[in-house]
Amino acid sequence: MTTSREALEAHRPSAVLNSLKRLGFGTVVSVPDSWLGEILIRIDQEPGMTLVRATHEEEALAIACGSRLGGVRTALLVQNAGVLSMGAGLVSLAQRYQFPLLMLVSYRGTPDDPVFYHVPKGRATEPVFRGIGLAHACTDRYRPIGPQVEHAATYAEEASCPFALLMGREDIQW
Amino acid sequence: MVTNTRPSRADYYRALAGSLPSRALVVTSLGNASYLWASLHHAPENFYFEDAMGLTLPLALGLALAQPDRPVIAVEGDGALLMHMGALVTIGAMNPPNLTILLIQNGVHAASGGQALTNATLDLAQLALASGIKHAENLNAPSALAAGIASAEKRDGVGVLVLATEPDIEVVRPPISLDPVATKHRFMAAIEAPRYIPTLFGGGMLERP
Repeated sequence: MTTSREALEAHRPSAVLNSLKRLGFGTVVSVPDSWLGEILIRIDQEPGMTLVRATHEEEALAIACGSRLGGVRTALLVQNAGVLSMGAGLVSLAQRYQFPLLMLVSYRGTPDDPVFYHVPKGRATEPVFRGIGLAHACTDRYRPIGPQVEHAATYAEEASCPFALLMGREDIQW
Repeated sequence: MVTNTRPSRADYYRALAGSLPSRALVVTSLGNASYLWASLHHAPENFYFEDAMGLTLPLALGLALAQPDRPVIAVEGDGALLMHMGALVTIGAMNPPNLTILLIQNGVHAASGGQALTNATLDLAQLALASGIKHAENLNAPSALAAGIASAEKRDGVGVLVLATEPDIEVVRPPISLDPVATKHRFMAAIEAPRYIPTLFGGGMLERP
């Protein structure tokens, strides 16, 4: 017999959402991709959370910085291509002012991603993250996802910086 | 005396300082937008941008949503606005009534030395209205600013005031250190923002001081 926690972890996107709620995330800012679409609908339906749908990822980053400045724990949900396009704001705003932000990033363009045109972005992602000093980790598909989200969120707060958790399809696509 | 000269940024800033609502939070863009405001009206409730051109409005949106009981005033330039015009659409969609946007329309990239804009003649108030913002108007005189700021109390959404301004290319010397991290901490302490309380093995939360 499975426990309710095991059942929750069995559906990893549910565990991600549950972790955000449990850790007190009040705002999520996003530019969606196909993997993120459904979890954003669920977040939008959460009474204790505000979803902001931005038009560009660098804009989303700045909204998240403002929200955290105002004292609300805030997460960004974007595709890895979006992190590539927010580079200037990341270094000159989020990192320069030391804003703790949890970035849940759909990791497109890996060998597990069937959409071929994401490959160039996938190849560039981790080298660019290292180049700009963006703290990050890839999820481990063999471990529960909830604690991985919590550890990423804790890192962001305790190191006072953005932290990007690169997530596979099974982690985030509802 | 008849003059064709537009008001200066300082003219508008003096009017703003004289009409700031109680408990207002002010977010200013890079360059003289921050340096001059710090010179005229430094306060812990000011958030000064060091750089990050084009991101003042989205940051102010996030702040307004996080602090719905306090007026938030954002000062942005026309050049920086053009870099992230999509932010107007997001602001119009979220529509926080406590957010007032002052757009300095001086027709140049003043913060980087006065280079020409892609288009210096846009009607920015119309642009804001077309982006879903219900309240936007063009102002030509600092004397009109106080009424525009005061109207925020009766608005049902975001307000945009476009301020026709002479370019100010000469860099104002800021009167204080505008160290970014100090700015952030000073601001968050002033508004008594919740702060992160760590625990030894993770799972810390934000709590009010």
